[in-house]
Amino acid sequence: MGVGRSYYDKEERVKILPLALGVALIGASPAHKVLAADSDATGDERAARWKTLAESVFGDRKIEPTETLIKLDAPQRAQDAALMPVTLTMPQKHKIKSVYLVIDDNPSPLAAHFTFGPAADPGSLQLRVRVDTYTNVHAVAETGDGELFGTVVFVKASGGCSAPVAATDEEATKGMGEMRMKFTDGAAAGKAVQATLMIRHPNFNGMQMNQLTRNYTPPRYIDKLSVSYGDSKIFDLEADISLSTDPVITFSFVPDGKGPLKVVVSDSMNGRWQQNFDMPETMN
Amino acid sequence: MCALIERAAKAAIILTTALLAAVANAGSAGDVAEPQGLWIGGMHGPTPKMLSGAVVVDLAAIEALMAEKPLLLDVGPVARKPENFPSDRPWQPIHRSIPNAIWMPGAGAAPLDAGREELFYRRIEELTQGDKAKPIVVFCRPDCWAGWNAGKRLVTKGYTSVRWFPAGTDGWQDERETAEVKPDAEWIAAPTK
Repeated sequence: MGVGRSYYDKEERVKILPLALGVALIGASPAHKVLAADSDATGDERAARWKTLAESVFGDRKIEPTETLIKLDAPQRAQDAALMPVTLTMPQKHKIKSVYLVIDDNPSPLAAHFTFGPAADPGSLQLRVRVDTYTNVHAVAETGDGELFGTVVFVKASGGCSAPVAATDEEATKGMGEMRMKFTDGAAAGKAVQATLMIRHPNFNGMQMNQLTRNYTPPRYIDKLSVSYGDSKIFDLEADISLSTDPVITFSFVPDGKGPLKVVVSDSMNGRWQQNFDMPETMN
Repeated sequence: MCALIERAAKAAIILTTALLAAVANAGSAGDVAEPQGLWIGGMHGPTPKMLSGAVVVDLAAIEALMAEKPLLLDVGPVARKPENFPSDRPWQPIHRSIPNAIWMPGAGAAPLDAGREELFYRRIEELTQGDKAKPIVVFCRPDCWAGWNAGKRLVTKGYTSVRWFPAGTDGWQDERETAEVKPDAEWIAAPTK
């Protein structure tokens, strides 16, 4: 969303915005415009909401608005609020250590935190999330030296948290933990490869009603996911109930050595699944 | 070649439109009959088009009614925190509704504990200052029986100007600004069973 953003260079920012002022500045600084993506009467309320959330997640660390370090693409009006696609783009990828996705008005707003490892190509990520109500969505990038940069979009999607997963819980949990990997974009040796990971998992959030028994299905959701190439980490993901049923995550990595690509997933009920994937021959 | 693509695109659009129409029909399930009394099934699902004794309203009708300062009664659900949710992750539910709405989550449940049902009627009586003819707009989310049930309770209790807004908070936020509302203090303070 093209809203006015101000950008200080690093030196100047350090001088004029001491860390001690921290998040308190967000409400008053140029960040205000960025952080309240809709400019109408509720803008202030949404900005206040973000200030509270930012304090919960980042403490008193300052979040600088950015158009260059992280971009967030999501449909302005999602067709299905239970699986809204989100694309995060980090053009200056060598600077990025981790990224946070915050869906402001979801009951559990911190949807995902990706921390990149040495085998990552942190230029882009795609995932699907649940959206409970029309909301601001924030993406925050953390640089290698621990600074935070944020961007925001407003999305019109609603009802994604209570939408039933499947006709029955048995159907929803069938094959839980099965994974597939699709290599969508190959390159020469030493160059980045894009891959899409699909995990079979209902990611029950505890707000979905069993259509037969009319009871709420107990929560069971993926809380940790780790992807490596050989012994080298690509990323760790911490998540909870805002990830969609059957999560799909697209990421890039630089294959070095012989692999394999290794995925380890755990969920809130102590489920643990691990699977290795070999790269297609043509890519090696 | 271009013409061919164009034709294919048109065909695709027509097909998609037809599919969407089919899905929409299946989703709203056409005619859901009004139950005799309260609906005691699952709260989420297609609802009837009618609520006998009440008027079904859309957004324009609510806005036309605003001058009469209706009681805006939101019975939408409260977010359920998963058990064992990690304490180091933020759990900060927010409820957005029609500005100035009174939010009584769970007031459309059926059956409702006798004490809570009594509290519901008492709160409504207080909020309408005992005026049974005061306009009340009751709503929830779309496909939500709680809104229908709450309206049914009010009609049965003798309220004569009950409006049911089936599009609910989703229908409102589509066109108008919402405001954060907290649950009605007395309603939420009472013990639930």
